[in-house]
Amino acid sequence: MTGAAPEPIAEVREAVKRFPAPEGGVVTALDNISLEVQQGQFATLLGPSGCGKTTLLRTISGFEDLDSGEVRIGGIPVTGVPPYRRPVNTVFQNYALFPHLPVSGNVGYGLEVAGVQRSERDRRVGEALERVGLSGFHRRKPAQLSGGQQQRVALARAIINQPKLLLLDEPLSALDRNLRQSMQLELKSLQHDLGICFLFVTHDQEEALTMSDQVIVLNQGKIEQVGPPEVLYHRPATRFVAEFIGDGALFHGKIQNTDADPVLVTEDGLRIAVGTGPGVGDSATLIIRPEHLSIAPEDPDDSMGVLDAVLEQMVFKGATRQYVCRLANGAAISATPPEASEEAFIRVRPGEPVRLAYRRSKPHLIVETN
Amino acid sequence: MRHPWLRRLLDFHGLLFLFFVYAPIIIVVVYSFNSHPVNMMVWKDFTFDWYLSIFGNPTKLNEQTLYVESTDQLLAAVKNSLLVASTTTAFSTIVGTATALAVYRHHFRLKPFYQGLLFMPMVMPDIVLGIALLVFFVNFGIKLGLFSIIIGHCTFLISYVFVVVSARLAGMDDTLEQASADLGANPWITFRRVTLPQILPGIVGGALLAFIISMDDLVITYFIAGVDSTTLPVFIYGMLRRGVKPEINAIATLMLVFSFVIASLGLYFRKRT
Repeated sequence: MTGAAPEPIAEVREAVKRFPAPEGGVVTALDNISLEVQQGQFATLLGPSGCGKTTLLRTISGFEDLDSGEVRIGGIPVTGVPPYRRPVNTVFQNYALFPHLPVSGNVGYGLEVAGVQRSERDRRVGEALERVGLSGFHRRKPAQLSGGQQQRVALARAIINQPKLLLLDEPLSALDRNLRQSMQLELKSLQHDLGICFLFVTHDQEEALTMSDQVIVLNQGKIEQVGPPEVLYHRPATRFVAEFIGDGALFHGKIQNTDADPVLVTEDGLRIAVGTGPGVGDSATLIIRPEHLSIAPEDPDDSMGVLDAVLEQMVFKGATRQYVCRLANGAAISATPPEASEEAFIRVRPGEPVRLAYRRSKPHLIVETN
Repeated sequence: MRHPWLRRLLDFHGLLFLFFVYAPIIIVVVYSFNSHPVNMMVWKDFTFDWYLSIFGNPTKLNEQTLYVESTDQLLAAVKNSLLVASTTTAFSTIVGTATALAVYRHHFRLKPFYQGLLFMPMVMPDIVLGIALLVFFVNFGIKLGLFSIIIGHCTFLISYVFVVVSARLAGMDDTLEQASADLGANPWITFRRVTLPQILPGIVGGALLAFIISMDDLVITYFIAGVDSTTLPVFIYGMLRRGVKPEINAIATLMLVFSFVIASLGLYFRKRT
């Protein structure tokens, strides 16, 4: 498909979905959402709970109808097509394994329903179980499996029909931390091997950054930003994305001084040097990530910004140390300096003043042009 | 439990309770083997004669006592009871299960009200239901007989099945049906392969309950049974009115065994899933 624009596997166009709220009124779960996911992509719908991500997934799988707008799968509109006729499969949040069927019955369910011969079915069930590392578990009942194993069965069951698109609804949320992290990598490599598109729903930004080619950030039924993890992290488009993804301190204010030496002045009077680009008078939000900060040298040059703060505490994080500081306006800011420049930090005691410095070009500035 | 005597008191209390519940039943079973022909409360010898007698085998005791209750009548009552119980069980299981599924799946206005209406026949006093059914059948010119008994039993047994199956449905994970649909199964296959196996213990339990209650119902049946459509409980009640005869012990024991078997089946099915 070189040259021509690749055909999206799934497309959502101007999707609107409203629910009656329990306390009366209406909740808009999907507010005019349009998006595309491509062949072979690992795409993630990321957002806080109630942002509409699960609703969006369920409109693609066919368990919810849209109030208006359209879903296309493989270029074909699927409005009114029931879930059992859609070429997508789902890994459910609670796995939804059939408790009365053994592992082989669960995994082979889709094939059996499709009328695949028994011998063929057994072969493919064996393959699918091998792929998820559960060979020899055929006869177990779901209740005899651990959470991680159930997860793998759910995965094997969903990929055996070779769907065009695999939907995963927060499948890792019930697993403990270690297992979750290894499953993230396994899912990523599984997706790579199978070459089918995964659309993954999560509220965990770390999970989204680890696995995705493309992240779709949702908030209150609207798309905040779509992009690869690096872009979301380094160049968030909105304050919401900046706050939701990664750590960092946010400063909101107006740009003052000349274009050559712009300064962001916050409402409480903090003056923060920023990189060139914004016009004077623009409203803007600056995101300073912990890794941007180090101790200021004796005489910082013009390419650096400096913030006066007081060191509050040092938090040991294993690979790095986090220095939590407080600025003049009372806001907390954290620094995780690279090891080379950590020397300077170690000499500072909690309660002592510290001058934090950053390259002006590093922190991302979201400009809301007036 | 610091005081051992307190513990022993509790044990004693437990035994007393079991005695209270089971003593009358044990007495019936024991005296069903008593050969004393006149006073069945006086133990004479061990005998199977009463059992033989109820199935129409002439015995020595039988001739002595001359309790003329025709065996044919008894067997006809048993047959009626089995016929009524199996028909009502089949009908109320199907309708009750379908109702439970419909109420589970659909949301409609005043749903709790309709659910209440479906529960009602369970708590309705038997005598009220019996009178109401009798008046209804007579007014509408429906001949009293097996047919009217079957209809009468269904009116409240549907409720029992509905309640038992509803409880099972409420405990079912509703994403299972979605998972089935997601894997390409149409609604019928989903029902057959996922929903039905999930609620089967409830259906079987409801059916057995319906069967036992139908077999055993006296009050309602008494009102709506026709002259030639006596069920076993009504028949026994009739026998009692003309004096307590030893055969009654044997019949009661057999009914007890029968109920035990049905109840055990129910427990077995519940345990298995």
